[in-house]
Amino acid sequence: MLRTTLAGLRLHKSRYVTTVLAILLGVMFVSGTMVFADTLNANYEESVMGSAGSVDAIATQAEAEPGEDGAYVEPEPLTADQLEEIRALPEVAEADGMVRGQAILLDSEGRALGFTPPAAVSVEGASRFDAAEGELPSGGDEIALATSTAEQSGFGVGDAVTVLDPEQEKREFTVTGLVNFGVDPSYSLGGAVIFAPDTVTEMTGATGYVEIDAVAAEGYTDEDVVDAVAGVLGTSAEVMTGEAYGLEMAESAGAETEVFRVALLLFAFIAMFVAGIVIYNTFAILIAQRQRELALLRCVGAKRGQVFRSVLLESVVVGLVASALGVLAGVGIGVAGAAFAAPAMGADGGIPLVITPTAILTGLGVGTVVTVVSAMVPALRATRVAPLTALRTSATASGIEKGTGWIRVVFGLVTFAVSGALIALTQMSDMGMSGPIIVTGAALVAFIGVVVLGPLLVRGIVRVVGLPLRRVGVASMLAVDNSVRSPRRAATAMIALTVGATLITGYSVVSASTETTLTRMLDEQFPIDYQINPQFAMEEPAGAGDTPGEETTGGDAPADGTAEGTETAEGTGEPGTDPSAAPAEGAPEADAAEGADTAADTDASGLGTIPEEVRRDLADEPTVAGVFGQRNGYLETGGGQYVDVTAYPGAEYGTDLTMETVEGDLSDVGPGRIALTEGSAEGVSVGDSFALANEGTEVELEVAAIVEGSTGTGGAILHVDDLTTLFPELTEDQALLIRGAQDADPAELREAVYASVDDHPTLQVMSVAEIKDQFSDMMDIAFYTIAAMLGLAIIIAVFGISNTMALSVLERTRESAMLRALGLARGQLRRMLSVEAVLLCLIGAGIGIVLGVVFGWAAAASALPGMVFSLPVGQIAVFIGVAVLAGLLASILPGRRAAGTSITGALASE
Amino acid sequence: MTASSVQPVPSATAPPVVVARGLTKTYDTGGSQVHALAGVDVDFHRGAFTAIMGPSGSGKSTLMHCLAGLDVPTSGTVHLGRTQITGLRDAELTLLRRDRIGFIFQSFNLLPMLTAEQNILLPSQIAKRRVDQQRFDHIIDVVGLRDRLDHLPAKLSGGQQQRVAVARALLNAPEVVYADEPTGNLDSRSGAEVLAFLRDSAKDLDQTIVMVTHDPVAASYADRVVFLRDGQLVDEVTDPNPELVSARLLKLEA
Repeated sequence: MLRTTLAGLRLHKSRYVTTVLAILLGVMFVSGTMVFADTLNANYEESVMGSAGSVDAIATQAEAEPGEDGAYVEPEPLTADQLEEIRALPEVAEADGMVRGQAILLDSEGRALGFTPPAAVSVEGASRFDAAEGELPSGGDEIALATSTAEQSGFGVGDAVTVLDPEQEKREFTVTGLVNFGVDPSYSLGGAVIFAPDTVTEMTGATGYVEIDAVAAEGYTDEDVVDAVAGVLGTSAEVMTGEAYGLEMAESAGAETEVFRVALLLFAFIAMFVAGIVIYNTFAILIAQRQRELALLRCVGAKRGQVFRSVLLESVVVGLVASALGVLAGVGIGVAGAAFAAPAMGADGGIPLVITPTAILTGLGVGTVVTVVSAMVPALRATRVAPLTALRTSATASGIEKGTGWIRVVFGLVTFAVSGALIALTQMSDMGMSGPIIVTGAALVAFIGVVVLGPLLVRGIVRVVGLPLRRVGVASMLAVDNSVRSPRRAATAMIALTVGATLITGYSVVSASTETTLTRMLDEQFPIDYQINPQFAMEEPAGAGDTPGEETTGGDAPADGTAEGTETAEGTGEPGTDPSAAPAEGAPEADAAEGADTAADTDASGLGTIPEEVRRDLADEPTVAGVFGQRNGYLETGGGQYVDVTAYPGAEYGTDLTMETVEGDLSDVGPGRIALTEGSAEGVSVGDSFALANEGTEVELEVAAIVEGSTGTGGAILHVDDLTTLFPELTEDQALLIRGAQDADPAELREAVYASVDDHPTLQVMSVAEIKDQFSDMMDIAFYTIAAMLGLAIIIAVFGISNTMALSVLERTRESAMLRALGLARGQLRRMLSVEAVLLCLIGAGIGIVLGVVFGWAAAASALPGMVFSLPVGQIAVFIGVAVLAGLLASILPGRRAAGTSITGALASE
Repeated sequence: MTASSVQPVPSATAPPVVVARGLTKTYDTGGSQVHALAGVDVDFHRGAFTAIMGPSGSGKSTLMHCLAGLDVPTSGTVHLGRTQITGLRDAELTLLRRDRIGFIFQSFNLLPMLTAEQNILLPSQIAKRRVDQQRFDHIIDVVGLRDRLDHLPAKLSGGQQQRVAVARALLNAPEVVYADEPTGNLDSRSGAEVLAFLRDSAKDLDQTIVMVTHDPVAASYADRVVFLRDGQLVDEVTDPNPELVSARLLKLEA
C-alpha cells in the first residue's frame, strides 16, 4: 500500500506543485518570523551584554517610590563621597560615576533637536560605555554624541554643534566621538550627548551620579564587588553584576521583539489558515478525480482503512516535503529581514544568524499538521468510494453538483442574523474597547455563514454577473457556465481569497474612517493653521528668581495674581499640573532642574511655556487672523473627581474654538462661566453651579454649556481668569494656536510664524497641514505594512485558485479538445479560463470587500464615538484591480496547458 | 442497391469535396517508427455517406483526424474543396473546422453545463454566425428533439445525446461531417436511429458524411465503405450490406 501511494505521488507530482507552494509560503512565514525575531533578540542581547559585561558591578540610583502623599519622590543621586568610598574598597580596582542631566542640542537650522532634549551625561574611565568612533570628550569645548543622536541630527565627528546652557545661552562644542548606547531605554528615546565630567554639571546643573560602574580588583569575583558596593550604598542604590544588568536590559528589549514576533505570527497564522483551505480543496478535487483509481484499489481488496491511510500518508509526505522547503525559505527570509530591519530596530547589522531548533521544528510541525488536518475530510470521503465505481465509465465529475440543502441555507442565514444582532448590539450601547472585539466575533460568525452558503453565493452572484458577460462572446459565456459547474469547489477556492480581502478592506475602512474622524475633529475644534509647543520635558530657564511677568515676558502679564515670586516649572501633559498629584512620569529627566529650581522638585513631567512676546508678535502680524494660547491644569472638583481644566486665553469661545454642544452654547463661557464635557457633567445641567478647588482656593462657577466629549477622563473649559485664580502660577501659555488670515499667502504666514520663534530655539512649530500629513503618512505606513503582511495570504489564495483551475482543466481535457475541434481558437480557450478565474477572484474579493466594509465600519463606529465613516474608494478600486490581475495570473498556467494539449491526443485518451 | 440510380451519385463531372493524396503519418515511439498511414489516396464526393473501416490499429482514426485538420500528416496533401488544408497554420485550421467541417464524436460530445439547444447552437455562437431558423426547425424535428431542447445532457439518454451531436454537426451545413464511431456507446436500437438519420440527411440535405466505424452493421448504412489495413486502403465496397462488409473485414483480418 505504501508503495502504491508513493508511486501515485511520483506520477502526479505536478498536481501538487501549487499545494506545495501554498504550504511552503505559509511555513516560510512562520519560520522566517522565528529566525528573524531570534536573531534580533540575540543581537540585542549581544549589544547590551557587550557594554554591561565590560564592568563587574553596576550601581544604579534607586527607583522612584511613592512618598507619603502618594506622589513619586525622586531619590537623591549618588554622591561623590560614595564614589570615593567605593574606589577605596579593596574589592574594587576602578570605579567611575555617571552624571546625567538634559541639554538642548540645536540642529543645523538652529532649532532644538527632537521632541525631548537629549540626555546629557559624562562617560569616563571605568564606565560601561566607550566611544564607538573617535574619542570621548576631555575638554570643556568637546562633546560626543550618541550614535542615534548623530544619525538624527546629521552631525558627525569633527562638526561644530551648539548646545544651550541652563541660562539658555548658546555654547559651541566640537564633536570628538560617537558613543553607541544600544537599546538602553534611558538613551533610546531622546538620544544623548556626552560631555567631560565637569562640563556636564556646568551645562545641566546636575550633580551627583545616577550610576556608578566598578571593575573588580585581582582575585575578587563579581559577586564580591557587588556585595561590597551594596554595603557602601545601602538603600540608595540598586547594585548588580554587569552580567545581570545586561540580562535584565536584554530582557526588556526582548519584550519588544516578542510583541513583534507575536504580531508577525498572527499574520503567519492567517497565511497558514488560507493555505489550509487551499490544501483541503486540492485534496478534495484530487480524490474526486481519482475515484476510479481508489475504487480499483478497493476492488483488488484494499480495506477502507487502507485507503484512508493511503490518502493521509500522501498528505504527510506532501506536508513534510513542502514544510522542509518552507523552513529553508524561511531561514533565508529571516536572514534577509534581520539584515534589513536590524539597523532600524537599534541593533547592529552583520550579526550571526540564530536558527533555533524551535524555529525549524515549529515550521515543520505547523506545515505538516495543517496539511494532514486539511486532507482529513477528503481522505474520509475517499473511503466512501464504492468498489463498483471502478467499472463505471465517466466516474469523474463531469456532471453538475447537486443543489444546496435547506439545512445549509437555514444555518447560513442564522449565522448572518446572529452576526447582525451582535453588530446592532455594539452600535446601540457604548461598549468601549470591547466593541471591536465583539465586532471581530460577529465577523467570524458571518464568515462561517459565507463558508456554509459559499456554493449558493457563487451560483447566485454568477447568475447576476453572468447576464452581461454571456453577451460578450462565446468564451465568456462558457466561462460563466463553467464557473458554476462545481460551486462547492469554486466557493472553497474563492473563500481563501475572501479571508485576505475581508481583513485588508476592514483595516482600510477603519484606517480611513479614523483619519477622517480625527481630521474632522481637528478642523472643527481648532480651525487653526499652526501650533507652537515648547519642547517636551524642557525646564524653564532658571532665571535669577525673577517674576516671569517682568523679566521673561516683558510685562504683558495677565491682570491678576501673577507676581507670586518664585519661578515654577509649571504645566504638564494631560495628567495635570497639580504638583502634589502629578506622578513622576519622566522622573529621570527632571534631575536637570534640581538645584536650580526649587518648586520643580516634584513637578516631574514638565512642559515649558511660551513667552508672551511670541503671542504679542504674532497678533501684530497682518497674515495672522487669530492667535490664542492654551493653558491646562488638573484638579479636584467639588464632587471629588479629578478633571482637566483648560483655558484658551485670547480665543473667542464658539468662534476660534468650536465643539458639538449637548446643551447650552460654548460662546457663553466667560469669567465665572464654564463648559463641561459630557463625561464630567454627570447630574449637572446648564445653569447649575459647579465647584472647582485647587490648593485651598475654591471657585464656584456657573455651567454655561455641556459639550460632547470622550468618556472617562472628562474635562472643563473655562475662562483664563478663573484658571488663573485656581492656578496662580500658570501665567504663560503651554501652547499657542495660530489661525492665518483668509487671504494670507501661505509662505508669508509660515515665515511670520517662524520669525516669531527665532529668539526661542526651543519652541517647536508645527503646521496643522504638516500634522495631518504626518498623521496620514503614519496611517499609510501602517496600511502598507499590514497589506504586505496579508499579501502572502492573498498570494497563497491565488495559488489555490490557479490550482483549482488547473485541476478543472485536467478534468475537462476531452471537453476542451471537442471545443477546439468545433472551431474554438486557442486564444478563445485561454480567454475562457481567464474569465472564469477572474470571475472567481472577483467574487471572492467582492464578498471580502463587502464583509470588510461592514465590519470595518462596525469596528470603527463602536470604538470611536462620533466616527465619520469614510469609504476608501481608491483603495477598494485597487483591491478590485488586484483581484482581476490575480485572476489573470491564476489562469496563465492552466490556460497554457489547456491550449497546448493536442486535440487528437485528448480525444484518444479516455 | 436498387436505389443507386436515384441517389445524387458521385458523378465524374462534379469535383470531390475531400481529396487526399499520398497521405502518410509516422510516429516515433522510442526508436522504432510506426506507420499509421502509409500512402493513402481517397476522394469523398458531395452528398455521399462513406464509412471507413478496418481492424484496430489500421489507422482509420488517424486518417479521419488528418482529413479533418485535427492532425497533421507526415506527408501528402488533403484538399477540402479548393482549399489545401495540409500546410495551414493552427489558427487557419481552427477557422476551417469552425466554418466548413462538422464533427460527431463517440462520447463526451456535449458540454454538460449547456442545454441540448445551447449545445446545438454552440458552433454558430463560436463562429458568431446567424442561425438559419428554418433549417434548425427542420433538423430538430427530424431528430425528434423538439421537446428535449431545454434539457441538460445529463437528463438525456445516450441515443438522444448523440442525436443532439448530429443536429449540431448538421446545423451549419458544413462541407463535410466527420463522425468518429458515433454509435460506439449506444445500444443497437438507438444506434440504428442515429445511423438512419445520418443516411437520410446525406440524401435529403445533400450532406457529405465520413464515418469511422468498426461495426459492419453501422457501415452498411453508408453508400460506400472503404477498408484500411496497416495504414493503406485495401478494399472498397459500394452499396454495402452487413454480411458483405463482415466478410470483407474477416478477410482483411485473416
